[in-house]
Amino acid sequence: MNTPIIQCQRLNHIYSDTVALSDVNFDLDAGEPIGLVGPNGAGKTTLLNILSGFLRPTSGSVKLFGYRPGAAELIGKISALPQDARLDPSFTIAEQLVFYALLQDLTKPQATLEASRVLEAVSLTEVAQEKPNALSHGMAKRVAIAQALIGTPALILLDEPTAGLDPVNVRTVRTIIAEQSSMTTFIISSHDLAELDRLCQKVLLLEKGVLLPETISRNEQQTETRFITLQMETCPALELIAKLQALEGVLQVTNPQKNEFIVAYNPDLQPSMDLQVMQCISTNHWQYRQLSHGKTLEEKLFFSK
Amino acid sequence: MHPNFFKQLLLISQFELKRGFATRKGLLSVVTFAVVWYFILLYPLRFAADLLVQEKGLNHNSSFLDFIGFGSLQLWPIPEFGVFWQFALLIFPMLSITIAADQTSSDRKRGTLRFIVLRSSRDSLFFGRFIGVLAIQAILIAATAFSTLLLVLYRDATLFSSALPNLFVIIVNVTLAVLPFTAMMAALSAKLLSAKQATLWAILIWTFLAGIISGFAHYLPALDFFKFLIPGYQLSALAQLSEWQTLQLAYIPLLQSLVLLALGRWIMARQAL
Repeated sequence: MNTPIIQCQRLNHIYSDTVALSDVNFDLDAGEPIGLVGPNGAGKTTLLNILSGFLRPTSGSVKLFGYRPGAAELIGKISALPQDARLDPSFTIAEQLVFYALLQDLTKPQATLEASRVLEAVSLTEVAQEKPNALSHGMAKRVAIAQALIGTPALILLDEPTAGLDPVNVRTVRTIIAEQSSMTTFIISSHDLAELDRLCQKVLLLEKGVLLPETISRNEQQTETRFITLQMETCPALELIAKLQALEGVLQVTNPQKNEFIVAYNPDLQPSMDLQVMQCISTNHWQYRQLSHGKTLEEKLFFSK
Repeated sequence: MHPNFFKQLLLISQFELKRGFATRKGLLSVVTFAVVWYFILLYPLRFAADLLVQEKGLNHNSSFLDFIGFGSLQLWPIPEFGVFWQFALLIFPMLSITIAADQTSSDRKRGTLRFIVLRSSRDSLFFGRFIGVLAIQAILIAATAFSTLLLVLYRDATLFSSALPNLFVIIVNVTLAVLPFTAMMAALSAKLLSAKQATLWAILIWTFLAGIISGFAHYLPALDFFKFLIPGYQLSALAQLSEWQTLQLAYIPLLQSLVLLALGRWIMARQAL
């Protein structure tokens, strides 16, 4: 059995008189990217700061690869994109990335190559000789992501990696995570649920400092009820619901948002429900925008009660 | 201790040296310092030394210098070094409070320290920055001492061999004098969020510490011992010594620095970054 890469036991953190984390317990294994979601002030950044060794917990125990956060044994093994952290304005981007690589015990030539590699990964080789103040917010964010990639660590903690990035660069970050996820476990804190839905197999939900017990996993193969999420072009909602509910195996049809429908069905009665739904749409001459298996992450996390 | 501790310490202190001498801001400070020092060297230092040389020639007992507290100037065989010694003991500790004020504070506020502590221990960071800033000051002290040596040689080139030991003593001693000030700023910088705050606190703490301890010690002489806690406590006594005698008081700044560095390390280990 694999040892978990992160073990948190009875973790608490209190700022003055505000409880940021309350009795958080979880173990995480290496593997696919893991999402960390929750409303503002839920304690996501506090948790990531404790895992990164930037903050000491008020009480409780945290182990990363068997060591406490900030231990010398973790150098080169874990990395992070801290929220709102900026590079030193006195030095060029390349100077700082080379310096960080040297601290990770790379030789000077290796450090120089590594700095170029990570800048290339975030499509920013042209800014290597610039000072941080010359960069836009989005570019600075990508440089901060680049520093997290130095030395290909086994665990990278990303706090809001796509906040403030344009769609092209969001896709670049997504590609980097997808490409590197065979070697690195990513923990991604984000408010962009669609993004996490694309990237993560597992999601942790924090609310008011408490880690909610329902960890969301993408694997629905074993469940008795499955779902199809359907996004339609403009259509008569009530008529569509009536037609879908008439299909064999459909348990329930809901309409959580305009033109979005969730079909709950029994896979034993109708294994190919997707084809039935499309057939129904086609017969009635309606237009659909998207059909996907399962619920959206937003639906799973906040509206599935 | 982790095997990479000293390597990281060296890398971090080298990076600080680079900040001091190879960045635009660092170079600007060095140039400003060089200009100010050029005028100190050219006017007060050279004129005062010339005056002392003339007085020695007249074989006066210089009761005036004794009267104003600069009697030790006559103890130095090379007057330029005597004057430099008095200037350096005044200027460099004050300069240290500004040069060493931002060892970690603004980087912590900006979040830059987070990138570093992902790759090094907090101890390497704290002591690496301290060593780097101390090295910058030692280089400035050495540069000013060498410029004084040039002034001596300009007056009398035959003094070279007798001036060298004095030069060494002065560099070591002035560096020791700034050591506790640098350690105090390291500790303050680990706690506060800007160089300005660290400088203000340093002045406040130093003034109150000196005032309160001296005040209490006046009524209760047993408390006199606590004066050893005040950085720079030995400076007035040090100014009265010359040449190798000046090392007699070296234990005071060394002990003060050890205490202040231990305090700073304790703060840094617990500080949220």
